[in-house]
Amino acid sequence: MTTLLYTHPACLEHDTGFGHPECPARLTAILNTLRTAPFAALEWRDVPQATVEQLTRIHPQGYVERIFARVPRRGNVALDGDTILSPQSGEAALRAAGAVCAAVDAIVQREASNAFCAIRPPGHHAEPTQAMGFCLFANAAIGAAHARAVHGLERVAVIDFDVHHGNGTQAALEHDPGYLYISTHQAYIYPGTGRRDERGIGNVVNIPLLAGSGSTDLRHVWRHEIEPALRDFQPRLILISAGFDAHHMDPLAELNFSEDDYAWLTQQILAVAAECCEGRVVSVLEGGYSLPALAASVAAHVKALMEAPRAAQRSLIKGILERQKTRRNAAGS
Amino acid sequence: MYEFLKYEVRDAMTADPIAIGPDTRLREVEELFESHDFNGVPVVDDRRHLLGILTKFDLLKAFSLDAHALVPHYDTIMEQPAAAVMTRDPVSVEPRLPLSRLLQKLVEMRTKSLPVVENDRLVGIIAREDVLKALRRATIQHEIPIHEDSPS
Ligand SMILES: [Zn+2]
Repeated sequence: MTTLLYTHPACLEHDTGFGHPECPARLTAILNTLRTAPFAALEWRDVPQATVEQLTRIHPQGYVERIFARVPRRGNVALDGDTILSPQSGEAALRAAGAVCAAVDAIVQREASNAFCAIRPPGHHAEPTQAMGFCLFANAAIGAAHARAVHGLERVAVIDFDVHHGNGTQAALEHDPGYLYISTHQAYIYPGTGRRDERGIGNVVNIPLLAGSGSTDLRHVWRHEIEPALRDFQPRLILISAGFDAHHMDPLAELNFSEDDYAWLTQQILAVAAECCEGRVVSVLEGGYSLPALAASVAAHVKALMEAPRAAQRSLIKGILERQKTRRNAAGS
Repeated sequence: MYEFLKYEVRDAMTADPIAIGPDTRLREVEELFESHDFNGVPVVDDRRHLLGILTKFDLLKAFSLDAHALVPHYDTIMEQPAAAVMTRDPVSVEPRLPLSRLLQKLVEMRTKSLPVVENDRLVGIIAREDVLKALRRATIQHEIPIHEDSPS
């Protein structure tokens, strides 16, 4: 069982205009890295367009139509100061959401243990009726809803470690106890939501971090908040909103995560997934605006995903050995 | 040795300083900062009533990351009026304030300059450099031998 990589050429053609940080070069940098030898075992998959049915589990049909009506024939159209459309944006957005649904299908049907969706536009700021923050459709939420509706999974968790709060994902999932949304993000920056007291119906865990927070803080909140919440929930599938803009080189924020932190965090999530849901993880690209840091962080993240089955096997064997030892000790005493 | 205690703000301040109106664009303010060595510039109405003060810090702050946009809109921020980012109701001092007290204020507030206001109108600005210059003057005078002729 390998790791699946979902991407589509249309995601490179979503053109946000000269100098925009959410640029096609982000994806090019990622894909160039994932084409190198260490990632040869990745299984690359093309992706279908998301269907209206998939989108409308989260977004009203009127919203979907409104977005497509704004897509320009040429040039750029700004939905707000941050969120820009080009002629290929509609197609890219359909492939982005479609990738997550296709990845969910493959993982639930055990074609692989986990998947990474290298897509843009990102999704976690898109609310059911509001595009914003570079995002058009709430890709991760659409994938979570797909897993519940089509595959009947009772509980789906979304872990969002992008440096910005995923207001869109939260808005989409916070009213349904079948979802758990956990977000770490920098406090007081865009979009301004994600305060601790935003708890949904008890299914939202917001962990704002102060500017300057790094490895130690990440490990602390994992142990004391994220891991306990995840284990409590016992998800049947874990989606990751994988933004890499909490990296210490990112120009749009002030957290200090490193590639190693992303590898570590991924391994922790995979360990919980191995226990709760046979390792089923679908990771979805969100932000990350320093190209070198983004490429290196995605590499660390995907490498951890690829090593997951072996790591899970090791921890399984370790568990068996420990239980045998306890039994022997019990028998001996 | 006690010469400095005789100084007042008006002895050291820059009188009738350059000031800007509330509608001045940040782009022009930045140019002002570049061409003069100001750290901050007073904002006044057409009767030179002090409305606020706009410092390099205020200008930087206008471009910092916040909850309003994912990316600060650098171009449009440059077109904003001074009134949008200036510090309103700034601390000001009177021209007759002893300079020693003004020094104390600058240290406590960690600020670089303060506007000087008399009868509700801006009459000067006093900065760290002005106080340092006054200190130098005060202490050099002390070192002048007493027996030498002085024009007083
Ligand atoms: Zn982000």
